[in-house]
Amino acid sequence: MELKINGAIRNIDVEDNMPLLWVLRDELNMTGTKYGCGVSACGACTVQIDGVATRTCTLPASAAVGKEIKTIEGVAANGQLSAIQKAWIEHQVPQCGYCQSGMIMAAEALLDANPNPTDEDIDKSMTNICRCGTYQRIRSAIHTAAKWRAEETTLQG
Amino acid sequence: MGKWTRRAFIATGGLAGAGLIVAVGGNMYVNNAIKKYSGKGMGDGASINAWVRIAPDNTITMAVPRSEMGQGVYTSLPMLLAEELEVDMNQIEIMHPQPESPYANTLFLDPNPRRAYASYSVMEKVASFLPVVGTGGSTSVKDLYDHLREMGATAREALIAAAAEKWGVKAADCYAESAHVINKKTKEKLTYGSLAEAASKVELDFNPPLKAQKDFKLLGKRVQRLDIPEKVTGKAGFGIDARPEGMLVAAIRHASYVGGTVNGVTNEAEVMQMKGVKKVVLLENGLGAAVVADNTWRAKNAAMALDLDETANTLENVSSADISKMLGEIVGDDTKMIGHPEKHGDAATALSGAAKVIEASYEVPYLAHATMEPLNCTMVINGDKAEVWVGHQGGSSVRDAINAVTGIEKENIHVNILYLGGGFGRRIEVDFIKKAAMVAKQMPGTPIQLTFSREEDMKNGMYRPAVASKFRGTVGADGMIDAWENKIALQSVSNSFMKRLMPAMVEPPEKDPQTAEGAVELPYGRNNVSVQFGQLDLPALQVGNWRSVGASQNGFFSESFMDEMAHAAGQDPYEFRKKHIQKSDLPDAPRFLAVLNKVADMASWSTPLPAGKYRGIAILKSFGSIVGQVAEITKTGEKEISIDKVYCVIDCGRIVNPDTIEAQMQSGIIYGLTAALYNEITLDNGQVVQQNFPQYEMVRMNTSPTVAVHIMEVDEYPGGVGEPGTPPAAPALTNAIFAATGERVRSLPLNKLGYTFV
Repeated sequence: MELKINGAIRNIDVEDNMPLLWVLRDELNMTGTKYGCGVSACGACTVQIDGVATRTCTLPASAAVGKEIKTIEGVAANGQLSAIQKAWIEHQVPQCGYCQSGMIMAAEALLDANPNPTDEDIDKSMTNICRCGTYQRIRSAIHTAAKWRAEETTLQG
Repeated sequence: MGKWTRRAFIATGGLAGAGLIVAVGGNMYVNNAIKKYSGKGMGDGASINAWVRIAPDNTITMAVPRSEMGQGVYTSLPMLLAEELEVDMNQIEIMHPQPESPYANTLFLDPNPRRAYASYSVMEKVASFLPVVGTGGSTSVKDLYDHLREMGATAREALIAAAAEKWGVKAADCYAESAHVINKKTKEKLTYGSLAEAASKVELDFNPPLKAQKDFKLLGKRVQRLDIPEKVTGKAGFGIDARPEGMLVAAIRHASYVGGTVNGVTNEAEVMQMKGVKKVVLLENGLGAAVVADNTWRAKNAAMALDLDETANTLENVSSADISKMLGEIVGDDTKMIGHPEKHGDAATALSGAAKVIEASYEVPYLAHATMEPLNCTMVINGDKAEVWVGHQGGSSVRDAINAVTGIEKENIHVNILYLGGGFGRRIEVDFIKKAAMVAKQMPGTPIQLTFSREEDMKNGMYRPAVASKFRGTVGADGMIDAWENKIALQSVSNSFMKRLMPAMVEPPEKDPQTAEGAVELPYGRNNVSVQFGQLDLPALQVGNWRSVGASQNGFFSESFMDEMAHAAGQDPYEFRKKHIQKSDLPDAPRFLAVLNKVADMASWSTPLPAGKYRGIAILKSFGSIVGQVAEITKTGEKEISIDKVYCVIDCGRIVNPDTIEAQMQSGIIYGLTAALYNEITLDNGQVVQQNFPQYEMVRMNTSPTVAVHIMEVDEYPGGVGEPGTPPAAPALTNAIFAATGERVRSLPLNKLGYTFV
C-alpha cells in the first residue's frame, strides 16, 4: 500500500489490518511514535491523520491510505522546532519522555483547530497518559505555544 | 566507540590513578579494581579520570553511569562535575559507560554517603568490587554529591597544572573558566582540549578544596535538562527504539497463573505458518514461550495464538480476598510479629489502662509499576560475546543476568543503557533481561528485541505488596498522644528482590528495613510507641520496589492515623502535628517543623476555605528528604471530588537543580494520587485481573491538580528527590476527603469505595 507520511510517499507491503503504529515503527523504522497499550487507551502512539490527532495502535494502516499522515518526525519543519516543541523546552516538560511524542502530536492538532484553548479545552483534547505526571507543565506549554503562534501570525500578517 | 582501549587507559592512567587514589585513600583493593576499568565508548581525547574525557576540539565528555528515567540524572550529575571542572553545560556531552568499578553505587550497600576524599568503607569496597552499578532508592545525587565535585576539582587542577607548566608560571597564577585555563597576568587562554593530553599525566599531590556554596555557579540554579531537546523531536532513543542491523523481534506469553509454569507449546507447527514468524522458543524453567518474527505486531498475534501446556503452581486457588484475610490474621496475632523496629515506653500497658482507645485497620492493594514504555530488551549473542540495548536501572545487574543465562564472561558483555520510558523500580528487575537472553541464545548472531505486550507487562509485575496496618492509640489528658501502636503485615520487598538480584546477599524478612520505612522515626513526640511487623509468606507472588517502596504504604497509614488522633483529640490536624513535632527529640525535628509551617502557610491553612472546599495535610521523611503537602479539594457531588491543588514543600538539603526537584515533586504526587484514586492489582484464583490501562486507570490532564512547590534552602548534605514526593500524596488527599465527607478512608483505591474524580 502507498502511504503519505510527512509529505513523502512510502510504499509498503503489509497486511491491510496491520496497525499504522507497527508500520511506522517496525517497517519504516520511524521510532518516534511509541507503543504504550495497544488498545487506544494511552495515546503514546498518537499521530495526525489529515490534521486530526489519531491513535495508531488500533488503526489499520490501510485506513490511512490517501490521507496525510504526520508523525513527530515531521513536526520540526526544515530543522526548525515548532512553537509547541519550543514551549515544551521552555517549560522543561518531558521527564522520561516516552509519552511526549503523542502529547506533542495531540497538542499540535489542538492548536491547529483551536488557536487559543481554555483550560477546559485542554482537558477535553489532551487525554493521553503521562506516567511521570507532566500534565501541569504540558498545560502551561500549550498556553505559551498558543501565545507564540499568535505572535508569529501577527508578525507574518 | 570503544577507542579507549585498556592500553590507552593505562597510558593515560597517571591522572586517573592520582585522582582516584586521592578519592579512595590509597586503597589497593579498590585501585586494582579501578585499573580494570575499560572506559569503553567515551570517544576521542584524553581521559582525565574515569568521569571526564576531553577531546582536542574541547568537547567535554562526561560519564553518567546512572539511568535517565525522567528524574533528570543526565543533567544533575554533569552539573556536579561541571561546577568544579569549570565548564558550561552546553559544552558537555554525555555518555553512559560500561558498569565498571569506578561507577559503583556504594549507597546500595552502605547507607552512609561517600564523602569528599574519604576512604572507602568495607561495604563501599564490596560495591566497587562486584561492582554494583545501579540507579534507585533516590540515591544518585546522594551517592555522588561529594565524589563528582572532587573528580571535577582534581581534573581542573590537573589542567591548570598543565597550563602553568606550559607557560612557566605557578598554578596559583592561573584560573579555569568555561573549559579554558587563563593566565591571570597575561590574560592568555588555553582550551582544555589543548591541555588534556598533558593533564592526563599530571600527578596531583594535594586534595583540591571544594567550592563553598556561595561560590556555586550551577548548583542551586535552574539548569535546562540536557536530555529534553531530543525528547521533543522523537529522536531520543529508548530501549524499545533500538534497531541494530538485522534485528528480529519477539513477543512473549507467560503462564496464565502468577508463578505458574509453561511446560510446552502444543501448536507450534500451526503458529510457524503465520506470516512473518521465524521461530517459537520455549523458555527455560517454564518461564513462558516466545515467538520470534519480523514485526512486533505479527509476533504478538502469533504469541497470542500459542496453545500452552501450563501448570498453575501454588496460587491456583488464591484470590485477593484470601490474601486480605491472611494479612488480617497476621496483624491480629502478636505471635506472628517478627520485627519490632521501634519501641519506646510501654505502649501495651498504656493502652490497657486507657479509658478510650482509638483503633483503626488499614489496607492497601498490590500495585503495578505500569511504566509508559512496556518492558523490552534487545540482545545479540555472538559466540562468546553478547551485546545488549536496554532501558534499565542497573547496568551491572543486566550484565550479571546475561552471564547467568548464557555463561558468557562478564567482560565480553557490552551493555548499552538507553533512555528508560519510566523505571519506578520495575526496571531494576532482570526478569525481562533473562527472558531476552533465553530467546537470543536460540538465534545466535541475530539481534532479538523482546517486547512484553502491555498485558504481559501488567500481569507479570514485581508488584508493590498488599499491606495491612492495624493501629491502636490513646490521647492523654494533655491532648497529646500517649500511646501509638502499629502492627504491619506484608511480604518483604527486599527479601523477594534480593533473591532475584543478589541471592548471596539475601537477608531474612525480619531484617528488611524497608518494611517499616514511613512507619518509624515519625517526627512526633509520643510517650509510648510500638511498631511491629509480620511477614506474609507467598513466594509465588513476587514483590518489588515501587516508587518510594515501604513509605508508599506506611506514609498513608501513619499520616492517616495521625489525622485520626487529631480528630479524637478534637484538634486541628496541622496544630496537632505541630505540637507533636515540637515535642519530638529527633535531631531533624526543627527541619520537620519548618516544612510543616511553610506548607501550612502556603496553603493559608488558618484561613477558612469557601463553601464546598476542603483540605488535608500530611508530612513524611523518606530517602533523606522531608516533604509536607496540603491537598485542596472541592466536593462536587455526593462522592465526587475535584482535586484542585496540592501545595508541596520539600527539604532535601542542598539543592542541585531546583527545576528538577520541582518536577519530581509534581511527578511523585501524580504517581501517588494515581494509585490512591484508581490502582490495584487483584488476583482471581491465581490470575491477575487487571490487564491494561482501562482496568488500571491513571490521573490524566482533566483530573490532575495544580501542584505548587516550595524548596527549603537548607545547608545540609542532599537527600533524594525522585521518590519522597509520593508518600504524602495519598494521606493529604484522604485527610481532605475526611474533612469533606466525614468518611475516614482506610483502604485504597478510592474508586473502589465509590469515589469518582473530576
